[in-house]
Amino acid sequence: MTADLIVDPQIRFWVFLPIVVITFLVGILRHYISILLTTQKKVEIQQLQDSQIILRARLLRENSKYIPKSSFLIRRFAFNKEEDGYLTQKRPPVTQNMMTDPAMMSDMLKGNLTNVLPMIIVGGWINWVFSGFITTKVPFPLTLRFKSMLQRGIELSHLDASWVSSASWYFLNVFGLRSIYALVLGENNAADQSRQMQDQMSGAAMAMPPDPKVAFKAEWEALEIIDHQFGLTDAENDVVSANN
Amino acid sequence: MFNLKDDIESLRLWRENIDRKSREIIKLWQSTIEDNLENLGNEKFVVLEQACVAALDTYELNVAKRCIQLLNSAFPNSIRVRTLEAMWFEVDEKYEEAMHILENIIKQDSTNSAARKRKIAILKAQGKSIEAIKELTDYLKIYMADIEAWQELSELYLNENEFNKAAFCVEELIIHNPHNHLLHQRYADIKYSQGGQENIEIAKNYYCQALKLNPNNIRALYGVYLTGTHTSITKNAQKKKDSSKLVEWSVKEIEKRYSKVSSPLSDLEERLAALEV
Repeated sequence: MTADLIVDPQIRFWVFLPIVVITFLVGILRHYISILLTTQKKVEIQQLQDSQIILRARLLRENSKYIPKSSFLIRRFAFNKEEDGYLTQKRPPVTQNMMTDPAMMSDMLKGNLTNVLPMIIVGGWINWVFSGFITTKVPFPLTLRFKSMLQRGIELSHLDASWVSSASWYFLNVFGLRSIYALVLGENNAADQSRQMQDQMSGAAMAMPPDPKVAFKAEWEALEIIDHQFGLTDAENDVVSANN
Repeated sequence: MFNLKDDIESLRLWRENIDRKSREIIKLWQSTIEDNLENLGNEKFVVLEQACVAALDTYELNVAKRCIQLLNSAFPNSIRVRTLEAMWFEVDEKYEEAMHILENIIKQDSTNSAARKRKIAILKAQGKSIEAIKELTDYLKIYMADIEAWQELSELYLNENEFNKAAFCVEELIIHNPHNHLLHQRYADIKYSQGGQENIEIAKNYYCQALKLNPNNIRALYGVYLTGTHTSITKNAQKKKDSSKLVEWSVKEIEKRYSKVSSPLSDLEERLAALEV
């Protein structure tokens, strides 16, 4: 290896530190903007009832041995009877109005506003203003493969891989400031971009409200196949033998 | 100042555990908190709410009124504050006004379970148990996993001597919490009160289960004895033998418990501990 590169100390004051400060402040700003924009999610009474039905059916299934057989049968009938049981009632399908629901749309818009837009704008701006600087060096040698990760924006094939370019330094900050935000803003803050990126990856599936019909069907089936055994008939013998 | 910090800490603890320590809270309110409201920071309004409920519980109407006024100026039109206001009217036995507020809240936010529960509480306080039962069953159609509501309904039914329906509610409680011996004992009590060979058989099973979950439950032990004597009157030889064995054992056990007790006050704490879940 040849003699080490000397980096202009001005870069520290005009590139390295500004990137840290800017990413940090943008995170704080995002946190407060998203607080301003969030609306309290309104729970539909129907949804509430559905979740409670599922909960009760599951408990009935799990703890059925603690109630007498007739009581169990009464309950199962109420849940599973041919028509109008709690689990078999007819429902208008919910999935169609997803896209037409204005509340849903504005929610999505707000999500994009606080997640994607700053990411693009701030990232692009940083790339434009601070492009092409070497900002710092990681204190250990790295293999060539890391070049594309740590030296974005600098296409020098002979540069040692442990040097970090300004654009990469920005991304390191975006993902690395999580614990600082937790310190400043408390847990569960909205400033952390990396968490939101993860959300977006899995978000597509999660955003759909779970169709109660599917859950009801599963619960109905599970209840149907239960063979009720009253579990307290042995309690008598257990008590006597345990205390003798 | 140090004192204030301690007081805030204990208030926080009670709030998180949902302890009913109304007298203590009011005492703290009068001694330190009231003069230091501005020093509470973010917690100020939560403490105000807590103090307000405590004041209503201890009939300190003026304290409650002051809390509500402070909260109202901070959050005008808040549903949570209006619920407190309704409770204030309720304590003052102005049920009409309270009902009116609660109905408005429900109209505005149909998922507000607190307001619905307060409505039922008002009906109960007015002695209209039939209406309370009706309202509560409507409530349970929506919130069918609400254990407290099932318990309340079972008590209302018991007051009306509707043993069958009360038993249904207690069954629901057992399903939700199958390891609470007091529920098993309560269910057995109901079944025993209903009478009939079959019900008493079930009652016996549940008394035994209660005893199994908590061997110190003396009421369940008596229950075992009583149901055992009932079931021993049968033609089935095997059953008769089993039951008389059970009776014999329970009598012996009861005598053993009483012989251990020397003075009636010495182990009061121990016996109260037996009531714990």
